[in-house]
Amino acid sequence: MFGLGLKKKNRIDLRDTPVPEGHHLLEVNDLKMYFHTQDGVVKAVNGVSYTLDRGETLGVVGESGSGKSVTSLTIMGLIPMPPGKVEGGDVLYRGKSLLDMSEDELESIRGNDIAMIFQDPMTSLNPVYTIGRQLSEGMRLHKGMSKKDAMARSVELLKMVGIPNAEQRVKEYPHEFSGGMRQRVMIAMALACDPDILIADEPTTALDVTIQAQIIELMQELQQKNGNAIIMITHDLGVVADIADKIMVMYAGQPVEFGTRDEIFYNPIHPYTWGLNRSIPEPAIDEKHPLTPIKGNPPSLVDLPEGCAFAPRCPYATERCRKEMPKVYTTKTGHYSKCHYSADEAFVRANAPETSRTKAQRIVELKGDM
Amino acid sequence: MTNSNILLRVEHLCKEFPVDSGFIAKRRGTARSVHAVNDVSFDIAEGETFGLVGESGCGKSTTGRCIMRLIEPTSGKVLFKGNDVASMNKKELKDMRREMQFVFQDPYASLNPRMTIGEIVSEPLVIHNVMPKKDERIEFVRGLLDVVGLNPEHINRYPHEFSGGQRQRVGIARAFALRPKLIICDEPVSALDVSIQAQVLNLLSDLQQEYGTAYLFIAHDLSVVQHISDRVAVMYLGNMMEYSDWRSLYAEPCHPYTQSLLSAVPIPDPDIQHSRKRIILRGDPPSPIDPPSGCPFHTRCPIAQAKCSQERPELREISKGHFCACHYAEPNPIKKSSVEL
Repeated sequence: MFGLGLKKKNRIDLRDTPVPEGHHLLEVNDLKMYFHTQDGVVKAVNGVSYTLDRGETLGVVGESGSGKSVTSLTIMGLIPMPPGKVEGGDVLYRGKSLLDMSEDELESIRGNDIAMIFQDPMTSLNPVYTIGRQLSEGMRLHKGMSKKDAMARSVELLKMVGIPNAEQRVKEYPHEFSGGMRQRVMIAMALACDPDILIADEPTTALDVTIQAQIIELMQELQQKNGNAIIMITHDLGVVADIADKIMVMYAGQPVEFGTRDEIFYNPIHPYTWGLNRSIPEPAIDEKHPLTPIKGNPPSLVDLPEGCAFAPRCPYATERCRKEMPKVYTTKTGHYSKCHYSADEAFVRANAPETSRTKAQRIVELKGDM
Repeated sequence: MTNSNILLRVEHLCKEFPVDSGFIAKRRGTARSVHAVNDVSFDIAEGETFGLVGESGCGKSTTGRCIMRLIEPTSGKVLFKGNDVASMNKKELKDMRREMQFVFQDPYASLNPRMTIGEIVSEPLVIHNVMPKKDERIEFVRGLLDVVGLNPEHINRYPHEFSGGQRQRVGIARAFALRPKLIICDEPVSALDVSIQAQVLNLLSDLQQEYGTAYLFIAHDLSVVQHISDRVAVMYLGNMMEYSDWRSLYAEPCHPYTQSLLSAVPIPDPDIQHSRKRIILRGDPPSPIDPPSGCPFHTRCPIAQAKCSQERPELREISKGHFCACHYAEPNPIKKSSVEL
């Protein structure tokens, strides 16, 4: 933090190296992050895999404690170790492992190539520094900009995220900004070094819906302009329906289903995804349908069930589910699900919730019969 | 609706919180106040669910608290079963609160960590001396825990041993202990995960069916309010902008604010979400210390005209039972307006 701008070293900026043949921009392979605590080993992330390319948006959905934030904090190298420990798997950024990097190397990537927006805009800005200084920090550190240049760029960034009167606002302190404005500052800060990957951890959860709509629109606009990839972590299925290209649904530290947006919303094959779908109040105009909640509570990550982690709450669970950990079933398109019965088409058809597409199809068929 | 089954009537309720109200500010004449609730009127019938939605800072929680008189209203009337809550003395207030209970937002902060859940749930019974015998009370609380979906065997456990959803069930059991006529639910599900949220919403509906309790349901989540409410009111900057039965409010929102609010809620269905027209409001809500003149929404309104900044629109009946405070409101005024977005 001190001596900003002096630390510029002869680093190779990984962003300029092309993605090696056969690799993606970001690859997470069977990542396992456990916390060793007094109560036992907390399996916070237990075998997460996905790939991400430039211009893509990955939505990560799950309830609190499902490991969605820990996954991205691990990628950023922000988990204190101990108590955290990577127990397996790897994270490759442009073909290079982030987990093997030294702290020094990581520092040149963090905030530069991979940037993060945190959930709470109220606590993630430093109250004793001006907005301009906080925005400049990354640029001075990573780009070796002078104080003056960095401040000029900060003004530009604030304008870009739609803050009026930016020349004046850079000199102000965080408490002079509203929640939505602060989240815009966080976005500006994350985009300051033009990152390859932007990780947004529940960026709109603390905000009102009208402000949420503004922020999502802004993130999409900037993505189109800069071509960066976005990892959007949220518990709101509406937000991922809006923004994501690919979706990973997490439960108890594991990805239970992964697929394109259409696959997750119109052809989900995991009972947990179905349960989530049925739990959301439908924006019905004609009549209200009762909600079908998922029974019970998520399991403790210290003491996971023997078989499928979702089995105790799953309405379709069988003896096999309780005994045997399901293997990942992958379709031709790369859509995968961690359930014994996902491959069983009849089972999926009989139990998956009705979507707007199946409904439309049913109505067409009904008309055809008449 | 006949007058006889109106349980609660709120008339011209106002609440101002003073800021800068010290001696010097008063002498200088610069004392200001936050206009948290500004001339709000509505009524709730017996057994009805009345939803109150709005963004943070719009005064929906303050309204709820004024009704219960947890804070004193500045002016206006709150009539509960025909009696004015604002002018009640201590004893009358206590009797009134036997029939009006509160469920709080944060299930972590609203339960005393040093009391067992049995003590928490039976506290209202002790305060109002409804069941003097302890055995009887314990039996009753066990029954109540069972009703709200908790294991009666856990009566001697402490709040920290429960998850967020379970704690909210404890809060609901406590509110129902006296079989009140009205429960004010202030964001009861916003701290919960979706799957748990659905459990709690279903529980609230089931309990209402069984006991005929009326709810004032305060929340910021429009789809949750739509799901549970019979009638819905939308607030903005302390003012009531629109209210009607849920069907007509969601199908034919009249007020430009309601329309933009509804269009800002992302729908978990990509086809619908990407095909519908969205209105994205610019800027932040203005400060309630210095609210805009005229219509409070005119600074962000896509169809605002000169009249809006001068004259405050009154609530008027657009169609039967559908009230809207906008000079230019007609069903879907945005479509019909010539103003380009």
